[in-house]
Amino acid sequence: MLVSLNWLREFVPYEGDIQVLGDKLTMLGLELEGIEDPFENVQDIVVGHVVECESHPEAEKLSVCTVDVGDAETVTIVCGAPNVAKGQNVPVAKVGTVMPEGMKIKKAKLRGIKSFGMICSESELGFSDDHDGIWVLDPAFKVGDKLVDALNLERTVFDFDITPNRADCLSILGFARETALAFDLPLTMPKLNLIESGGNAADDLKILIDDPELCPLYNGRILRGVETKKAPDWMRFKLMALGQRPISNIVDCTNYIMFELGQPLHAFDLDLIEDATIRVAPATDGMKFTTLDAVERTLTANDLLIWDGKKPVALAGVMGGINSEMHAGSTNVLLEAAVFRPGTIRKTARRLSLPSDASYRFERGVDQVMNRFAMDRAAQLMAETSGGTVVSGVSSNEPKPWQDRAHGYRHDRCMSLLGLDLEPDFAKKVFEGEGCTVDDSDPANWTVSSPSYRLDLEREVDLYEEVGRVFGLDQIPAVLPKVSKSLNTSVAAETQYGFIKGIKAWGAGAGLNEAINYSFVGDDDLDRLNLPAEGRVHIANPLSADQNVLRTDIAPGLLNTLKNNLAQGNNHVRIFEVANKFIADAESETETSEHSRLGILLFGPRHATEWPWAAGEADFLDIKGHVEHLVENQLKLAAPDFALTEDHAYLEPCVEVKIGDDIIGIMGKVKEDIADFYHAKKDVWLADLDLDVLRAMTTAHAIKFAPLPIFPPSRRDVTVIGPATLQAQAIRDAIQNAGIKILESVELVAEFVPENQEEGKEERNLSFRLTYRHATKTLKDKQVDKEHKKVLAALEQNLPIRF
Amino acid sequence: MSNELKSFLEGLDSLAHDCESRKGQACSLNELDELRIEFLGRKGKLAQSMGALGKLDNTDKPAAGKKANEIKQSITALIDSWQAELNAAESGKAMSQFDPTMPGRKPWAGSLHPVTLVMDEVCDVLTGLGFEHAAGPEVENDWHNFEALNIPPEHPARDMQDTLYVSEKIVLRTHTSGMQIRSMLKQEPPLAVIAPGKVYRRDSDLTHTPMFHQIEGLLVDKNVSMGDLRGTLTVFVRQVFGPKTEVRFRPSFFPFTEPSAEVDISCVMCGGKGTSDGKTCRICKGTGWVEILGCGMVDPNVFKSVGYDPEVYTGFAFGLGIERIAMLKYGIGDLRMFFENDVRFLEQFA
Ligand SMILES: [Zn+2]
Repeated sequence: MLVSLNWLREFVPYEGDIQVLGDKLTMLGLELEGIEDPFENVQDIVVGHVVECESHPEAEKLSVCTVDVGDAETVTIVCGAPNVAKGQNVPVAKVGTVMPEGMKIKKAKLRGIKSFGMICSESELGFSDDHDGIWVLDPAFKVGDKLVDALNLERTVFDFDITPNRADCLSILGFARETALAFDLPLTMPKLNLIESGGNAADDLKILIDDPELCPLYNGRILRGVETKKAPDWMRFKLMALGQRPISNIVDCTNYIMFELGQPLHAFDLDLIEDATIRVAPATDGMKFTTLDAVERTLTANDLLIWDGKKPVALAGVMGGINSEMHAGSTNVLLEAAVFRPGTIRKTARRLSLPSDASYRFERGVDQVMNRFAMDRAAQLMAETSGGTVVSGVSSNEPKPWQDRAHGYRHDRCMSLLGLDLEPDFAKKVFEGEGCTVDDSDPANWTVSSPSYRLDLEREVDLYEEVGRVFGLDQIPAVLPKVSKSLNTSVAAETQYGFIKGIKAWGAGAGLNEAINYSFVGDDDLDRLNLPAEGRVHIANPLSADQNVLRTDIAPGLLNTLKNNLAQGNNHVRIFEVANKFIADAESETETSEHSRLGILLFGPRHATEWPWAAGEADFLDIKGHVEHLVENQLKLAAPDFALTEDHAYLEPCVEVKIGDDIIGIMGKVKEDIADFYHAKKDVWLADLDLDVLRAMTTAHAIKFAPLPIFPPSRRDVTVIGPATLQAQAIRDAIQNAGIKILESVELVAEFVPENQEEGKEERNLSFRLTYRHATKTLKDKQVDKEHKKVLAALEQNLPIRF
Repeated sequence: MSNELKSFLEGLDSLAHDCESRKGQACSLNELDELRIEFLGRKGKLAQSMGALGKLDNTDKPAAGKKANEIKQSITALIDSWQAELNAAESGKAMSQFDPTMPGRKPWAGSLHPVTLVMDEVCDVLTGLGFEHAAGPEVENDWHNFEALNIPPEHPARDMQDTLYVSEKIVLRTHTSGMQIRSMLKQEPPLAVIAPGKVYRRDSDLTHTPMFHQIEGLLVDKNVSMGDLRGTLTVFVRQVFGPKTEVRFRPSFFPFTEPSAEVDISCVMCGGKGTSDGKTCRICKGTGWVEILGCGMVDPNVFKSVGYDPEVYTGFAFGLGIERIAMLKYGIGDLRMFFENDVRFLEQFA
């Protein structure tokens, strides 16, 4: 919301520092975003006087002017405008001036004559669309003055951020009220000087309202004999200071009043209103209506229209119709001042993407009591600026008059909520200063009536806020609360946050970098990984196609991260991410089920490439090692089972990780054609673990201490030669299933694959170290040898192996 | 003294001289070992000299024995001292070739995302004050995200948060406040919870990403006041940003709190002066203050929607954006870096 300082001063005599004003209002909840000079872009333009003006000897359309710009010497300016003439005061851009469009004025030579500057038109300075020639200024202006000073333009405009509750502050008047309150200054309303010229507007126009809820008040005034033309400079300049483009006197008057008093108005060409009737009624589904921006809109029954006797003429509170708007030849005006239901206006403006200054105010609520004054003041200004006359009286329909609202107020409760101890008088002064009436005949429970412009004062607690706001929330003494807890809840098990915090600490400790990706990706990202189309949760209004669906899998985000890093030349990427994946779920109250996942991605060298680490690329055993370390060492769960699965969407090989019957995740290598898309020229290893399942297991799992062994172990090594297709786990299982009670543990200690093997008969050698130990005695070698032989026998019997 | 004894003793003395004269001849530990054997070995020079002991008169034997012992000790000491010198030289040579500047066998350094670091820090401060963790879904229904928080459909406050919709009644949560509602529905007061998590807005530019992180705090009990809120947030801000940080409460508006406030802290860049290095501070744009969170007293309508009696209970709520705090704390200028996950960025955080 832009607030012009001089306009504000018409209402309240604030003469202090502008920053102080901004800061004070900020601390009252009207946040100052900045202070701007709206005419900064023309600040270097000066008033010049054309001393001589002669035709250019080489080009008759050009004039050679001698211009006094207040400097010691006059300057020569070659000017192409037809209306330039000796004796005029004109705006001059001297050499070095930067024009509003950004062009810098330089010395120039036009058909052989040197020109030192430019005489400007209104359009060149951004003051109108007039291209008719140079701007001829008031002869009374002092030559050499800055144009902004000569025209007395506003140089100070505040930009405030207004929260949605403060509809009353969407006008200069609203800011004047707050300024008066803040600095204890008097508020002066503009004097109304409306001259009515006879007749009776009520006879000229009938107003019908179908539903009082949608339109509690509709007032109309009629002006006759107006001349549509440019509004006077003072009005145009004030609107321009607020960033508005002046249009015509009639339209500018409606805008002027909207910015000044907060009441949006609309001017119809009365001659285009049929049957002398205005009717406020909803549209019907599918009907078409062309708004004054010449766009045909398709409406719904939720949109509110203004109709005349035959046709719709305006989209209520949002935009007028092209069939009834004021145009150059209009002479009679119907001025509308109405109040509409905020939600209805909001819905229409949002659905049609037609936000306007008017709808913005209607959506937040306008002052129904101020309506009449605003309309009358607008009619006065229109008459004054157009030469028209105002028909006496008002055509009015107010099916739902404004009801004053009264709220209880308990001062002690207010003090207890705010944490303050103030005299009741302070509160009373605040309320009265804001235009409320206070009945404190019951000291414990006052009755406070709020004014029609403070729509936000709806409840007792809103009054508390006013007391706090005016006293200063920043002045409330800070204390620390006593946080009470009930016995039942404080014995919570480890929270999900705590579990995830542990997982993340593990990831960082394991040498991985934590990444955070957006929860949404594009359908393309999921399709590329051959992920199913069903179960996807789509965003109805995505920002872009590559963010239109929630992740159904952790991988797409991780792979995008890999791609980004490769593009930056980062050739080792070792990341993890903890995030939810989302699957459509009709059973859920949110239509979605969310699953907490841990994703790990390894790409590039296994170790740092610096000496003394051995070179080598991360491979399956690296990703597997991370999974094992997390599950067994960090979470202290049982060693998982790893089984190759076929036909995974994007991993090959893909290994399923299970503990008992529970699948805790998958891991493997991203298929090469997919990896190619992400520009990964080496293997990409990925793991995707189910943190919901792991957390449930961890919570259920209790650590049990096992006593340390007392007697020494005995170790035996065995090298098993078997087909290359025989999995290590099968050998390990066979060893462990041999039923040897004193066998404590089995470790794989070496793998050897002989070279130059016969095709189809490849073998490999796996060496295992078996540790035997008895709980209650020291084992003798003989005894160990006997048991070890049993193991070897079992191996030979059950597997296609030799030693 | 008998001549025999005299010549025996002289023999021992010359042995000692002989050994002393060999100083510097043994250049290695091996040569020194040979020297030791030459003098002190079983068949060494000392042993040979001792062969004459038996021929001495019994009365001379004690003096001769004593002397022989002295000579043995002095030769041993002499050779030991040469060995110590040689040892020192050897190890000095080894140390001069030991290079402690070779790179260590350093494991990969992992890191936590700055969002996680700040989230953990904030949560730690608040759990230290007695708040407990709450959680809720990221895809939320309209009721939890809006209506129960006193944001009816058509309310202009809905414009404060551009929403990403899944369907008409299902949204990506626009704030973590929905978790407040879920906590209150689950439990009667007193209640002190924090709800950290991802939130989503339909907004993407230099200062907005469509996903970011928030932490919501909620305290409900009898007689909770705005002073309690100020105290809690002041402690929080000073623990996170340092004990000298100034805190400013500015009236604002949120549909779910009344009164509502925005909290500014003195600018971490310029220390609240508004300028740094003579230029207008780019962090606070010269105001000396930066906004870090929104808060207020829980609106009675929110209590009504979860079945708490607003005449009995009061409470406060606050919500803060994690990325905002991380940017201030670590001096990160570009919000988008948080989600690009460039490992050179990630590696800078521990
Ligand atoms: Zn600063």
